[in-house]
Amino acid sequence: MRLLVRPAQYVALALYILFLGFPLLWLMSASVKSSGELNSLTVNLLPQEWHWENYTEALTRQGLLHSAWNSLLVALASTVLSIIISVPASYVLARLKGKVRAAGVGWILVSQVFPVVLIILPLFLILRTLGLADNLVGLTLVHTTYMLPFALWMLQGYVAAIPTELEEAGAMDGASRFTVLRTIVFPLLAPGVVATAMFSFVSSWNEFFFALVLLQSPENYTLPITLNTFVGGEGRTALGPLAAGAVLAAIPSIVFFSILRKKLTGGLMAGAVKG
Amino acid sequence: MKTRRLLAAASLMATALLVAACGGGSGDASGPVTLTFQSLSDQPAAIAQTQKIVGAWNTAHPEVQVKIVQAGWDSVYDKLITQFNAGTAPDIVHYEAAGIEPFAEDDYLADLTPYLSQAKRADFQKGVLDSVTFGGKVVAFPTEVQSYVVFANKKLLQQAGVAVPTGKTMTWDQLRQISKATTKGSTYGLGWGLSSPTAAFVALAPGFGGKYFQGTGDQANLTVGEGETALPKLVDEMAYQDHSILPVTLTQSGSKALAPFYAGQTAMTVQGSYQAANIAKDAPKGFDWVVLPPLAGPAGPAQAASPQTLSVNKDSAHVKEAAEFIDYFTNTDNLAAMNEADALIPPTNSARQALATKLAGKTGWDQILSSGQYITSAPYLFASKYPQWKDTIATPAYQQFLAQKIDANGLTTQLQNGWKSVTTN
Repeated sequence: MRLLVRPAQYVALALYILFLGFPLLWLMSASVKSSGELNSLTVNLLPQEWHWENYTEALTRQGLLHSAWNSLLVALASTVLSIIISVPASYVLARLKGKVRAAGVGWILVSQVFPVVLIILPLFLILRTLGLADNLVGLTLVHTTYMLPFALWMLQGYVAAIPTELEEAGAMDGASRFTVLRTIVFPLLAPGVVATAMFSFVSSWNEFFFALVLLQSPENYTLPITLNTFVGGEGRTALGPLAAGAVLAAIPSIVFFSILRKKLTGGLMAGAVKG
Repeated sequence: MKTRRLLAAASLMATALLVAACGGGSGDASGPVTLTFQSLSDQPAAIAQTQKIVGAWNTAHPEVQVKIVQAGWDSVYDKLITQFNAGTAPDIVHYEAAGIEPFAEDDYLADLTPYLSQAKRADFQKGVLDSVTFGGKVVAFPTEVQSYVVFANKKLLQQAGVAVPTGKTMTWDQLRQISKATTKGSTYGLGWGLSSPTAAFVALAPGFGGKYFQGTGDQANLTVGEGETALPKLVDEMAYQDHSILPVTLTQSGSKALAPFYAGQTAMTVQGSYQAANIAKDAPKGFDWVVLPPLAGPAGPAQAASPQTLSVNKDSAHVKEAAEFIDYFTNTDNLAAMNEADALIPPTNSARQALATKLAGKTGWDQILSSGQYITSAPYLFASKYPQWKDTIATPAYQQFLAQKIDANGLTTQLQNGWKSVTTN
C-alpha cells in the first residue's frame, strides 16, 4: 500500500498540471490550425495540418512586435516604479501605528472602489494638459498609479509577517535603522517584492482599458490594443492569428516569471525567532 | 449608456479648468491640412482597400492629407466618448448607425447635409440614409451594410427532393417547409445562432410588419404586437413543433452555428450576409452551398439594418475637407471595392450594381446583393435606450422564450415592462 502512495502523488500532480496547462495547450493548438479546422466540429488537440501562416499574419499585421516592445517598456518601467515606491511605503504602513496608518490603509481601500470609467476622463485631460496623453510615459505613470494601492497592500502584509524581534535584535547589536533595513528586513522581504513585481508586471502587460483610451496613435499601441484589432466587427474574429498573437504575447510573461521564480522561495524566516 | 455619459460629463465639468481648447486636424495656413481618420476596418483585405483609397486621395489632394489611425471595434464606444468629451476625437469617425445616435444627440457630429449632393442622396438606399439622419440632419454617410440571408447545403436539399428556390424572394413559410423536408435522422433543416437574438429579431421584424419603436431619443415608445412577436413565434414552432432546428444552435453565436452546417448536421443556416466570405474560406472541400433568395414575410422582404458609417467630428478645424474626403470615400468605385473586401453590401444603388456586375455568377453574391435593395429604415436606431434595453431586457427575455421558459405573453410582458423600467430610471 505504501509503495503506491508516491506514484499516486505523481499521478495526481500530473493531472493537476494538465488541468492547469490545458487552456495554454489548447491555445497553442489553435494557433497552428487553419481557419477551416477552427470553425469545424472536429475537436483535435493536434491540428490536422500545421498552419504556421497564423504566426506570419499575427506578426505582420498591425505591427504586433512593435506593440509587444511598447508593452514590455511600459510593464518593466511601471513595475520598477511601483516597487521603488511601494517598498518603503509598505514598511511605513506596516510598522506605523495610529491615525496616519489608518488613513493610509483607508486610502488604499477607497482608491480601489472607483470604477475606471469614472476616472478615465479626468485622467485623460490631466495627461493631455501635461503633454503625456498618447504617450508611453503617461501610460507608465497611469499603470504605476493604478497598481500602487494593491502593491502596497500586498507588500505591507509581507512586512507585517517579519517579526519585529529581528529588527530589535539587530538594533541591540548596534546596527543603525538603515543597516537593520538593508541587512535584515530587505532580504526577508525579497520574496514578497518578487511576488509583487510579478503581479505588477502582469497587470501592466495585460492592461487594456487605460491603453485603449489614452493611446491614440498606432505606433504607441500596446499589445492588448493590437490584439484587440483581431476581433472584428459583425462578430468576425480572426481566431488563428488571434491565438498566435496570444501565444506570442504570453512569452515575455513566462520569461519574466522564469527569471524571478527562484527568488520566490518561502521559509526564509523559519527558525529565525527562537521561543 | 446614459450613466456613462453622465459620469463622463460630470468628470469633464470637474476638470474643465485643466483643459485648453483643442481642435481635431492639424495644418496651418502655409502647409497642407492633415485629417485623422480613425478606421475600424478589421479584415486584411478591407484594411488594404482603406489604405488604397486613402493613398489615392492623398496623391490627388496634396493640400489635404488623410492619416489613418487604426482602431478596433471592441470597446470603441468607450474610446470615442472619451475622445469627444476631451476634444481629441479624430476628424473622420468610422462607426455604425446604431452607435452614433448618442454622439449625434450630444451634438458631436457635423451636419453633412450640405455636402450630400442630390445625385448621391438619390443613389443611397432611402432606408439606409434615414438611419443616419437625426433631427433632420445627415450626420454620417453609410458605407457598408449587412442583411440576414439563408445559406443552404445544395446536396442536402437535393437529397430531400427539395428544389432550390430561385424566385426574387422566398417566404418564411417556404423556409419552414424546406426545413421540415430536410430534417431527417441526425440532420436538421436549419441552424440559427440565436444566443443574442435581439438584433436578428428586430432587424427582420419589418417583414412581418413589426417596428418595435416609434419616436426618437428619450421619447421613443416600444410596441410589442403581432408583427414584433411573429418571428420569435415562428422560430419556436420550427424548433419545438417541427423539430427542424438543431436545438444547440439556438444557444450559439451565428459563427458557431456554421460548424454544424459545414458538417452536414444542418441543411440551412440563417446568417449575416458577410458570412459568405467565411463559408467560401472555411467550408470543407467540395462543399456545395448556395444562398437562397431574400426572406419575405407577410409585409414583404424588408430588413432594418444598422450600416457602418463615416462621420465628421463637429469640432474638427476642417469639417469641409473631412466631408469632401467622406464624399470621395463613398463614391461608386470605392464603395464597391470596400464592400467586396469586407463581404458586405454597398448602401448605394450604383455601387451595388457595379459589384453585382463584377461578381456575377460568384456563389451567393447575386442573392446577397439583391437582399440589399430591401434594406429599410431602422426605428430602433433612434431610441436612445435601445442598447440598454437590448442587453438587459430583450436578450434575456428572448433567450427564456426560445428555451420555452416563458410563453409569448410572458415575452411581450417582459419586453414592455423592461422598456418601462429602462426609460423611467
